[in-house]
Amino acid sequence: MTDKLADDDGPSDSSLLVIIVDTNPNQRYITEDPKVLTGCLDAVIAFANSHLMQKSRNLLAVIGCHFHKSEYLYPSPGKPLDVRQIDGQYELFTLVEKTIKMRLVNLIKSQPLEEKPGESLLAGALAMALCFIARMRREATPGLRMSSRILIVTGSTDTAAQYINYMNVFFTAQKQQVLIDVCSLDKHLSLLQQGCDITGGLYLKVPSLEGLLQYLLWVFLPEASERKELVLPGRGRVDYRAACFCHRELLTIGYVCSVCLSVFCKFSPICTTCHTVFKIGGPLPIKPKKKKMKV
Amino acid sequence: MSESSKSKLSLKLNPSPTLQCKNLHEYLKSRTPQFLETLYNYPTICLAVYRELPELARHFVIRLLFVEQPVPQAVVASWVSQTHAKEQSKACEALSELSVWQEAPIPGGLPGWMLAQSFKKNLKVALLGGGRPWSMSSSLEPDGKARDIAFLDAYALERWECVLHYMVGSAQTEGISADAVRILLHAGLMTRDAEDGSAVITKAGFQFLLLSTAKQVWLFLQHYLHTAEKRSLSAAECLAFLYQLSFSTLGKDYSTEGMSNNMLVFLQHLREFGLVYQRKRKAGRFYPTRLALNITCVSDAAGPGPLLSAGQARGHLVLETNYRVYAYTHSSLQVALLGLFTELLYRFPNLVVGVLTRESVRQALRGGITADQIIHYLEQHSHPQMLKSESGGIRATSVLPPTVVDQIRLWEAERNRFTYTEGVVYNQFLSQADFTALRDYARAAGVLTWQSERTRTALVTRAGHDDVKRFWKRYNKT
Repeated sequence: MTDKLADDDGPSDSSLLVIIVDTNPNQRYITEDPKVLTGCLDAVIAFANSHLMQKSRNLLAVIGCHFHKSEYLYPSPGKPLDVRQIDGQYELFTLVEKTIKMRLVNLIKSQPLEEKPGESLLAGALAMALCFIARMRREATPGLRMSSRILIVTGSTDTAAQYINYMNVFFTAQKQQVLIDVCSLDKHLSLLQQGCDITGGLYLKVPSLEGLLQYLLWVFLPEASERKELVLPGRGRVDYRAACFCHRELLTIGYVCSVCLSVFCKFSPICTTCHTVFKIGGPLPIKPKKKKMKV
Repeated sequence: MSESSKSKLSLKLNPSPTLQCKNLHEYLKSRTPQFLETLYNYPTICLAVYRELPELARHFVIRLLFVEQPVPQAVVASWVSQTHAKEQSKACEALSELSVWQEAPIPGGLPGWMLAQSFKKNLKVALLGGGRPWSMSSSLEPDGKARDIAFLDAYALERWECVLHYMVGSAQTEGISADAVRILLHAGLMTRDAEDGSAVITKAGFQFLLLSTAKQVWLFLQHYLHTAEKRSLSAAECLAFLYQLSFSTLGKDYSTEGMSNNMLVFLQHLREFGLVYQRKRKAGRFYPTRLALNITCVSDAAGPGPLLSAGQARGHLVLETNYRVYAYTHSSLQVALLGLFTELLYRFPNLVVGVLTRESVRQALRGGITADQIIHYLEQHSHPQMLKSESGGIRATSVLPPTVVDQIRLWEAERNRFTYTEGVVYNQFLSQADFTALRDYARAAGVLTWQSERTRTALVTRAGHDDVKRFWKRYNKT
């Protein structure tokens, strides 16, 4: 039994956006000037609120992705904060802003001090986002058409360490009809670009961090059904190189296990994934010709 | 021997009046630009107007929001792909109609667009903060007798049903004030009976009952605003307050501190219709209910949505392909409504069974209810079981059985077999030649509606009559 997924052509009643913010302290733009993070975060919050502004039934979730764990920044689990208006801002928007900032501080404080910051756990955060979307679909009122998408905002560099996890998440998203958009703040990210291409989302590497909010609003605010009507950046060439399972390096030519389709950069007699034993290579023995039977 | 008996046919093409339910966009369009200008001083209204805009227009606004100088119209046009030029012009039109943007020349002489200053400023305030807080948000002590959402829903439902019950004349007249009655009369939903002066429901009133609750509330408030000026309330102020309510959080209390006297009066009226809950008149705090929150959702004609509380949003109607309607309800109002267009068969404590027949539907149609309204009502109140049962993964446009929907439309169509055209009959020609000459002339002029050679009769449209008459006189002379 499938849930009602939003069909591609019709406009949906409600749109669910999950934003994944990479808060890893070893991103280049943060190490250069930590204050930029606040600016970027403000842009993301303003963008999130603009999404909620589009329709009264739009839904939002924000996930903070750190090097030791990923966590929901909004909505906060349990009872929502009790927020009163302090200025002319719409109450809900104030709630979003306050919750995200408060929970992000908690997330950053919880990072282990002795550990050296490693890679951001983006694939895990993506899986969390997909779970959230699945839950919202399950809980939605019957008959409501809901479209969902995920936006990743990251300044991390491209690594293939999480290659398999990424691919699993991408294909799940594709099957669930969830778009994955990627906004790269620093380097070109070929792996995530593949994800965008697989799920039909958009990939953008912002040229400068100053106008981040404008880039977000222009490119990522329209939902899937509206994107056809607007002129948006094209797909471009997508680097579809796979990473090998043994050293996580991107390959153009490699060895593929004939049983489980694992990719390797070097030949090994036993597949490490499915333990299939391969015959040592070499020319195949030529079968001796059967002698013709003379009657 | 000539054109004789002129017969005029009735011009009334569609005599049944249908109820107009304007959405916010249409309502604002009918106001003056000055009125709009005052409205845009309220961030809440800017937010509401923004949500009512067409999809593309919303993106235009958000792209222009942070731009300080006018943007060439050609640039705006280039944002949209060529294949969707129609949507683009529609979006531009909507923005101009509501004076959200104005034309502004660009130094180069090109025509440009610029967002209205007050709209831009206040939308930014609503989105990003700044400015003054809305009037009702001063801080409050925690309420000792705080009300939960279930209570508020029940309260709102009870109050609103009270109004509806009054309309169908369920004898219970308590709990509805003279003001509410005046609005119903003003809206033409009810009328004074000629004999004893009591209020009785009109055809429009029946159509009103078939609307979704959110639409009913909005229509009712529209008429309230119309009459507001007579009671020295400012429509702009009331509208701003309404939208403020609609952007508040359910289950939270708000303060009446700092509200003007007029607004306190308005609040009491809203309390009467169940849009807000107040324990005591002077409690100093109030709780908005779901009815108030729904005002913004009117245009989302999304059919069954989470419009009302779980208890009420859950529809109760099951419609089967054999034209039977099962209504799981015990509300006499719902039964009365269903009785408008179905023939009721059985009645049980929690279930009513009816059947849609040609006669019952035609009776409703005669009462001025349209097929669309019936279908929409059935759709709106569909039982969740009907929403779930999808036919093999194929998404139909409606959850109702297509046969029934089509049949209801056909029943309506069969009443509209006549199209009336005003015209003049030419008959009693003395010779076939005379008739042919006149007929051919009228046909060439494109004013011939109908002709019969055997009876030598021709029907000419009203507009063409003078011309044909002149031709006939000329023809006779020669």
